[in-house]
Amino acid sequence: MIHLWHEPFDFSEWLKRTFSFLNIAVFIITALFIFSEFRFDWMERLLGTYLSSTNSARPETGAIWETGKQAFNAREYLDDIVSKKEDARANVHDASSFSFLSANLAPGEWVTLEKNQFKALYLSIEKSAAEKIMEPAQLVWLLKGSHLDRIFCEGVSDGIKIYFLDSDNRVIKQMEFKKEDILKIEAGEKPLPGKLDQMSGFSGRIYPAQNFFDALFKLPKDILPDLMDNPQSLLEQEGEIIRVGVWNEVKDGYIRLGFEFEKNDGFQVVFVKGREWAIWQLSLNLKGTGE
Amino acid sequence: MKAFFRILPFIRFVLFSGLILVSLGSVFGMCLVFYMADDLPKLPSPLSRIIETPQTQILASNGQLMISLGERESIPLDMVSQDFINAIIATEDHRFYEHRGINKLRTLKGLYITLTKTGKVQGASTITQQLAKNLFFSFEQTFTRKFKELLVALQIEASSTKQEILHAYINQIYFGAGAQGIEKAANVFFGKSSLDLTLSEAALLAGLPKSPANYNPYRHYDRALERRNIVLRRMVQVGFISDLQAQKARLEMPELHQKQSDSRTGNYFIDALISELIQRYGEDVVYHGGIKVFSTVDPRLQTYAQNALKNGLKTLDDLMGIKSDASERPQGALVSIEVGTGAVKALVGGRDYHQSEYNRAMKSRRQPGSGFKPFLYYTAFKNLEYHPATLMTDKPVVISVKGSPDWMPKNFNKIFEGDMILKKALIDSVNTVAAQLVEKTGPASVNQTARICGIKSPLADVYSVALGTSGVTPFEMASAYAVFATMGVRHEPFLFKRVEDAFGRVIFEHIIQEKRVLESGMVYQVVDMMKSVIDQGSGSSIRKMGFDRPAAGKTGTTDGYNDAWFTGFTPTLSTCVWTGFDKKTRLVDTNHAGITGGRSAAPIWADFMRNALKSDPERDFPIPDNIRFETVDVRTGCNLDLEEDNARGLTVALKSDQHLCEKEEE
Repeated sequence: MIHLWHEPFDFSEWLKRTFSFLNIAVFIITALFIFSEFRFDWMERLLGTYLSSTNSARPETGAIWETGKQAFNAREYLDDIVSKKEDARANVHDASSFSFLSANLAPGEWVTLEKNQFKALYLSIEKSAAEKIMEPAQLVWLLKGSHLDRIFCEGVSDGIKIYFLDSDNRVIKQMEFKKEDILKIEAGEKPLPGKLDQMSGFSGRIYPAQNFFDALFKLPKDILPDLMDNPQSLLEQEGEIIRVGVWNEVKDGYIRLGFEFEKNDGFQVVFVKGREWAIWQLSLNLKGTGE
Repeated sequence: MKAFFRILPFIRFVLFSGLILVSLGSVFGMCLVFYMADDLPKLPSPLSRIIETPQTQILASNGQLMISLGERESIPLDMVSQDFINAIIATEDHRFYEHRGINKLRTLKGLYITLTKTGKVQGASTITQQLAKNLFFSFEQTFTRKFKELLVALQIEASSTKQEILHAYINQIYFGAGAQGIEKAANVFFGKSSLDLTLSEAALLAGLPKSPANYNPYRHYDRALERRNIVLRRMVQVGFISDLQAQKARLEMPELHQKQSDSRTGNYFIDALISELIQRYGEDVVYHGGIKVFSTVDPRLQTYAQNALKNGLKTLDDLMGIKSDASERPQGALVSIEVGTGAVKALVGGRDYHQSEYNRAMKSRRQPGSGFKPFLYYTAFKNLEYHPATLMTDKPVVISVKGSPDWMPKNFNKIFEGDMILKKALIDSVNTVAAQLVEKTGPASVNQTARICGIKSPLADVYSVALGTSGVTPFEMASAYAVFATMGVRHEPFLFKRVEDAFGRVIFEHIIQEKRVLESGMVYQVVDMMKSVIDQGSGSSIRKMGFDRPAAGKTGTTDGYNDAWFTGFTPTLSTCVWTGFDKKTRLVDTNHAGITGGRSAAPIWADFMRNALKSDPERDFPIPDNIRFETVDVRTGCNLDLEEDNARGLTVALKSDQHLCEKEEE
């Protein structure tokens, strides 16, 4: 059924249509809607409550969460620095050698060494080798006579740096060692397989063991300790000394002596050092007795 | 009537269409809410938890706290002055207790103005909306951002009480001058707790968040007072205070906390330190890591430095006839370094931190003029085997430069004095002699000397570099001169000695390393010459000011009087002072005469050093074993005959293998 709409013909028709039930209902509902919203803010409450219900699932974004994240990042970064340092400290706490120290300190890592720990490391090295680290007199001065407060050890790309610091963090003495140098110092001079005449440095200065010791005991007794800085290494060897060679170079006031041992599995040369002037005295006695 | 009947259908159509549109809009709005809800930031619970961040502390060398960074001091509402709470509510959102997150009428009005008036954006944010914006959103003005901010505000209102919202708001709001939160602001601006704020102070603070930079009372006190009066008026309108109370408050002139007056970060030194920390650890650690930084600055020396520079520049203003309200006034910088360690003890980068935060002490590369000559003289001693009594001739010099016009340096006084020994040439800062020296040594070797002393700015390998034509910073000059003070031993300058994390674990320690870079005998010879610069040369104003300790130094003034320097040292402290305009403007007095480093920078140096060293015992520079002293005729370089004019005599320091009367061959 089709109703054709037409314009009202008179005023009463207009009024009737204007105040129709539908119009009044729409008006009242709209007015109520607006009034109640302004009065009770129900739309805000509704939305707020809805958003609160979804809160836990939403992302932690925005300035304040960023600040929180920055604080977290900062904490992580600092913890990382500290833990690396503590790891390094734990690693070297029981260090028994300088080579262990240098192997366990990565570049940029640093630890503080106790005075006693440094002393123990120093004394663990054979005397003549330890002198390459530091003169004993200087160590005595540092540990007992200076204003030394701490010993600071830092890893560098190819070794370690050791700083002796006073209480103001001022460097009293500074040393730097390459890893390979430390290894060499600590290892001392290792025995070499072979005979003395295979080593060019002893050429023309090789003596039978008997001649050597005869010449040696002709020297005054007070010279003898300066002839061999480390007789221990000779005593530790198996076999007999066959020949002794005197090196043809002086280094740091010392001259090397090579002792040729005959062992079951062949020959071996063990090196020790003697003071230059003592070896010179010995050489006078050895003159003409060589091979 | 008929006409009315005719348009009635149209009105009805509009009303119903509007209703439909509003309904559709509501549906769309709801969809938008659902769509955006997923993307909204999560609200922390409780709201105040978000305020907690650890603070980084920077301490002076005596352990005094200089500044806390990233500090959020959260205090409960009942520990805040009620006047402040009333003031902030009256100003920012007087219907705060009535709405549920938005002020609908203000929002509609704001929307209407924004949509109808081109280029005008009307804000209508409630305190809750501002809180939402500050906590989660950028300051970018978009409808999406505004809508999201509105939604978060609704959620904040739904999930928190008004007291909780207000608590979070006043504790995170930014007041400027590095003050975040009301407690910090009360402390920074008035040196008191927020509970003790007077009505006038509270109103002043409540006015700041609208534009912290514009109303910063340290910079714009008048504007801040005007804004305070607006706040007081609002408080009367809202009914928080009476007219009488407002009138009384308006008459008050709140006294700002002077200790903090140099504070955004603290001062130029702190700026430089923070910048170095950021470079080393990044911003997160510096601002949010809660680290403790033990700096090198001595607060006593820092105060002396600030005062010396301030007073010295005021004197310079007077000398130049510049009024205090002039738009362009000369600037200055002062850096003082402990020579035995490299620790920076005082650093001021300008005359007023609030007017310009540009740190001239560390960033401004200016020509040092004759201040560069000590590097030249040392190089000549080393490379040419010259000594202070070597005879040279002050005469017109023309040095041909490949590919450029000939270089013809002139003396400041435009006079050529003939034969003179090198010591005399340095005391009188004779440019022609310096030019002859650099011609022989070559500029590269002079630059090399400067480099090993610590000059890091680019230095051009040109002859004029010996007269200080390559820009350097006052920081570099103080550090490089310290090498002379230590007889050739270089210490890297540093701003902080230790950094700890929040638990006191050491993150960084500065180790003071020494490196001999110059030969002590030759350094002593240069130092002895520089001592005479102060005793009888271009830096003699220092003695006139009553500074009578053993000291050495050199003035520096550039050709156009654009820069005036004095860098000098005692055996303990090396200090550099620079004065000049930021722009290329001449320093001239009221008689149009150029102002030299001896007139502008040296008095500042003397003022600072006199105070800085007043409690230290007096010490002279150590004399190396191979140094002897001879009195020579400045015109011949030979021993002075006692019967001759004593005024021509000058004592020179010679090394044991150096001899007199050896005229430098042409």
